Amino acid sequence: MPMRRRMAFTVLTFGGLAAAACLIAPLIGSTPLSLRRVFDGSVPFAENPDAQIFFVARLPRTLAAALVGASLAAAGVVFQALLRNPLATPFTLGVSAGAALGAMLAIIFPVGLAFAGVSSVPIASFAGALGAVAIVYALATVRRQGLSTTVLLLAGITLNAFFSSVILFIQYLADFTQTFRTVRWLMGDLDVGSYTPILAALPFMLVAFAAFSVLPRALNLLTLGADAAAARGVDVLRTQRLSFFSASLATGAAVSLGGPVGFIGIIVPHLVRLLVGSDHRIVLPAATLFGAAFLIACDTASRMVMAPMELPVGILTALIGGPFFLWLLLRRS
Amino acid sequence: MPPPAAGGRPTVVSLVPAVTEMLFAVGAGPQVVGVGSFDSWPPEVRHLPKLGALLDPDVERILRLRPGVLVLHVSQQELRTQMERVGIRVFAHATGGLDDVPRNMRKIGSLVGRAAEAEEAAAAFERSLDEIRARAAGRARRRTLIVFGHEPGALRAIDASGGIGFLHDVVTLAGGENVFASVKRESVRVSTEAILAAAPEVILDLRYGQEWESEAEAARERAAWNALPAVPAVRTGRVHVLSGDRFVIPGPRLVEAARDIAAALED
Amino acid sequence: MLRADDLTYEHPPGPGQETPGGVRHVSLEIPRGGIVGILGPNGSGKTTLLRLMAGLIKPASGRVLLNGRDLASRSRREVAREIAVVPQETRLAFDFTVLEVVLMGRFPHLGAFQLEGDEDARLARQALEDTGTAHLAGRMFPTLSGGEKQRVIIAAALAQAAPVLLLDEPTASLDPGSQIEIAALLRRLNARRQVTLGVATHDLNFAASLCTSLVLLRQGRVAAAGPTSEVLTHEHIRTVYGVDADISFNERAGHLTVVPLARAGHH
Repeated sequence: MPMRRRMAFTVLTFGGLAAAACLIAPLIGSTPLSLRRVFDGSVPFAENPDAQIFFVARLPRTLAAALVGASLAAAGVVFQALLRNPLATPFTLGVSAGAALGAMLAIIFPVGLAFAGVSSVPIASFAGALGAVAIVYALATVRRQGLSTTVLLLAGITLNAFFSSVILFIQYLADFTQTFRTVRWLMGDLDVGSYTPILAALPFMLVAFAAFSVLPRALNLLTLGADAAAARGVDVLRTQRLSFFSASLATGAAVSLGGPVGFIGIIVPHLVRLLVGSDHRIVLPAATLFGAAFLIACDTASRMVMAPMELPVGILTALIGGPFFLWLLLRRS
Repeated sequence: MPPPAAGGRPTVVSLVPAVTEMLFAVGAGPQVVGVGSFDSWPPEVRHLPKLGALLDPDVERILRLRPGVLVLHVSQQELRTQMERVGIRVFAHATGGLDDVPRNMRKIGSLVGRAAEAEEAAAAFERSLDEIRARAAGRARRRTLIVFGHEPGALRAIDASGGIGFLHDVVTLAGGENVFASVKRESVRVSTEAILAAAPEVILDLRYGQEWESEAEAARERAAWNALPAVPAVRTGRVHVLSGDRFVIPGPRLVEAARDIAAALED
Repeated sequence: MLRADDLTYEHPPGPGQETPGGVRHVSLEIPRGGIVGILGPNGSGKTTLLRLMAGLIKPASGRVLLNGRDLASRSRREVAREIAVVPQETRLAFDFTVLEVVLMGRFPHLGAFQLEGDEDARLARQALEDTGTAHLAGRMFPTLSGGEKQRVIIAAALAQAAPVLLLDEPTASLDPGSQIEIAALLRRLNARRQVTLGVATHDLNFAASLCTSLVLLRQGRVAAAGPTSEVLTHEHIRTVYGVDADISFNERAGHLTVVPLARAGHH
């Protein structure tokens, strides 16, 4: 099939899947909902529980799941190509550890750091993610001009370990309930409760996706190696920088919105590659759309299976992702 | 044998804040020679050595103090074995329902040689609760959501009390009907959808460890609930932000907590 | 056509090396349609020189001129349209088909969002045929043998439609059969498609069979340069490699052959 047709086919298929997930998810849940009452204009919104369940509880979290899923899956694709490592995830380079440290500080030392209707936890986690990105980049470029992916990987892993131990240390000093709440944050939570956090994360995600749109062909060539890509006309350093910063931005925004939901960034890219091959012009849009659909599905399940209790969505993705990851490892070796 | 305190009664180290409060309530305050890291009540404990908590008991310093009785959490099995081996008596505290509070008071009282005072304090505790129960009995029971944690200033990561535990018991006694009573757990992570569906008439938003909180901040926390205007409690202004450790420590101060909650439910 | 003008580039000693790597004051010229071999022992600077001449790294001093124009003044894309590179070995991080890998050669000719058109597909097919790999087009690249991979990478370089092709140890990891195939393929490309070739290798016989002229490197400097028959002398081999060798014209092979006999004694 010619490239143009393949791309159109992919976007239509996976786009249809994502759109279907977006439309169906708000309609199902633990509480029966009458669509007629949801859109009944004669009842004021403040007195219409059906409309509020639809517009306050379900729709925002569906949108949040779509954005977080899309961002993490796309960031996973980009990080895997950048690091030339199929086992890389959006969290490999320490972005999520930085975000977790930020979120944890905000949970344990609650200060009134709300800004424009966004509460302190997402703000602190986003700041933590940016801090981690800056540190990893500085470490990876300190010795020389270029961007060594090996050093990047080592810096990321080291930072992950270091932040994790700082987190453990602060948790150790915190009281039991606070520790419990920080642990719970790590499992992801898409019940955002309003559109404000979504609108706050959206601009960063849009910037990241604008960058993603120019990357795919250069990412294809990067899989041959940096020298081979350069010899074919790729500005390798520019591509690596753009990949690193845009994928980190998408990850940071996603984690601050929904917590570090695990495994999306590795399951989705690999599933998509199994279906459509490795060409990033196909893989990147397909993974973006499939990531959205996949996380919406997981979140819908997580709010229903134990209702009225929430099953943390990260547990569900990990239950699916753990065995998948193992299968991937065994298949490769 | 460990050195006895004045009057032949044993000295005590308590790593459990609830039991520390009980010890002072039964008049065993002078026997307490060490407390846990998170103990802050009564004010006297501030001058006592802090000997760790659930995860990090300071075994060495506890042994040096040689208390007659060590109060620990029921899950601290290893510490328990260690202490019993050197002849220190152990009281293992488990957080349970409201009934367990006077029961524990009597037990720890008799263990530290204050059986009579403990009986008195426990009975007074029970009497006070009975009074609150009796006063509430006449009123209509309001459907109540008991929240003991959420993100500051936002309705995210909401932890509520399920149908077991002292918080549920206190609210039931004070005239409320826990909307998540059917979930047989102490702690339930609930979604906004579940809250909208449960339609509570009263919301008790409990904050602990933050008694410094100003009225403005309490107002901000109350305002966070305006995101769910269809909830009756929000519509009718029955969202109460109550701050203080007494709401989350199953000790003698639960009487005060119950009074505050009853007042909120009456409002 | 491609000229190195007094190039110097140093990098710290690699593992097991005592002296710093790189090249010092190296000048050489690859004429249009020529096949120039860059020879030297391990660590003599062959790969560095090749990367400098492909514009992949910037010299500390000196210039690389392509048709009289400094490479440093041109963008990566412009250079890639003129010079293609075949590395010693290619490992893919992800599974691409042979056709996809060859089409990647078209990168410098396409706009940022432009898709490959009919002309690109035609050039890719032509490149596959010219390298005898058309039957592999649908195969996954990682499943190919070493020799097949190298031919596909050469096909990708041909699809790049660059008049100059630089190869770094193209046969180092191949068996003798594949080595002969690659040599024949390169001679054919040079004859039929007028591709100018620069080949870095430490395989003296491979170079003798292929190259019209040679540059002999020793510790980053040019030890000898000129037509193949003048460079491959007993003296040069002894100076550069430290071995005594038997050099003779092999009638059946049709080129000089070098047989190392013994480490040369120090005089």
